[in-house]
Amino acid sequence: MAGEEGTVIACHTVDAWNEQLQKGNDSKKLIVVDFTASWCGPCRFIAPILADFAKKMPHVTFLKVDVDELKSVAEDWAVEAMPTFMFLKEGKIVDKVVGAKKDELQLVIEKHAK
Amino acid sequence: MAVSGFEGFEKRLELHFSGDDPALTGSMGLRRLDFSLLEQVLHVVQCSVVSAVANQYFDAYVLSESSLFIYPTKIIIKTCGTTQLLKSICPLIHLAENLNHSIISCKYTRGNFIFPLSQPFPHTSFSEEVSFLEDNLPKKLANRKATVMNSSKSHAWHVFTASVSGSGVSAESKAAAYAYTVEVCMTDLDRVLARRFFGGNGKLMTEITGISNINPKALICDFGFDPCGYSMNGIDGDRYSTIHVTPEDGYSYASFECVGSVFDDDDDLVRMLRKVVKIFRPAKMSVATSTSRANDVSTRVNNAMKMVGMKCRSFNADDFPAAGNVVFQTFTAARR
Repeated sequence: MAGEEGTVIACHTVDAWNEQLQKGNDSKKLIVVDFTASWCGPCRFIAPILADFAKKMPHVTFLKVDVDELKSVAEDWAVEAMPTFMFLKEGKIVDKVVGAKKDELQLVIEKHAK
Repeated sequence: MAVSGFEGFEKRLELHFSGDDPALTGSMGLRRLDFSLLEQVLHVVQCSVVSAVANQYFDAYVLSESSLFIYPTKIIIKTCGTTQLLKSICPLIHLAENLNHSIISCKYTRGNFIFPLSQPFPHTSFSEEVSFLEDNLPKKLANRKATVMNSSKSHAWHVFTASVSGSGVSAESKAAAYAYTVEVCMTDLDRVLARRFFGGNGKLMTEITGISNINPKALICDFGFDPCGYSMNGIDGDRYSTIHVTPEDGYSYASFECVGSVFDDDDDLVRMLRKVVKIFRPAKMSVATSTSRANDVSTRVNNAMKMVGMKCRSFNADDFPAAGNVVFQTFTAARR
């Protein structure tokens, strides 16, 4: 889908989620997944910061998964605290950040984004 | 002693609200408060969010000046520096009312300011704070008490509580019968140990100081301030712990706060307190424990202190309606 680079892409269905994962595997781009919830204050805090990262780093794919909308995915990925950020590259989990931690997020993105 | 510097001593506010037991209804209660509205309240207090995390039980925010914890029917906010913490009371009560939660108790505690003359209204004195609380809390919180618990060699502990008369028990207070809160204030920190809190790298500070080891099960949200300073919230199930450090020589300060239950292993609290003392090696320290009288943990505190060379200098206990029993002890390092 054109025009998605530079934004945080929301996955509303399991199909959309799988599609994005496949795209990521094929492109070898770093995928950052934000496991979030509409009611989660800490998630709301980090949202604009994440959107800013997405804008500045179009070579990284940013996905957003609402844990209520996609319960099965959240369970599969054992998300307990929120926000949880998973870092995927070529189908594998390469890192994880739990909590709305701006500096740590930035460091981990830069570490894996090459 | 510096003429003025950053004020480490915090002001702490704990508000309890009516509402169904979240364990039964799964209701988010006050956690549904819109984040942008919370930010507005924090703005009034002159602080902001720097880090945050949520689990199934509560939301924990690290602020530019300490911490904020939001449970379905309870809000705890602790701020240092020259923040006007009490100004958050009216907006928080109002926001909670909009979600159909009414306030049923309020507890305000603090030690002594190192730089009392730097404090703005309404924190220029305890009597001013009490006046402000009296004027701004709803009349239905009719059971009120204000006490200063003194110590001969150290700072005092100020406590104000207000609650509804008779019943009006929050969901939290059922668990509260078995729970305790520990508020630790440490001053005159070991200089070498305090140097570890310079440099702005919170994650590193958490590791090298051994803070990550105080409760290895806790998920930690830390923040290192530039050029110095440190804050962290630890979350473990429905329990929080929090540490804030002002490391500068001349007015160094560190606080540690945690909650526990009488059903915990006796040694847990002792182990944690011993670790905390070893991390900071303060010359002076106070420990205030709040619990229902039947579950006093002050002996455990005392035992822990003895094991790490801290001598008890004062002991004070008082009962507060709805807030339970508060025991305030001060300690000094036996040998430096």
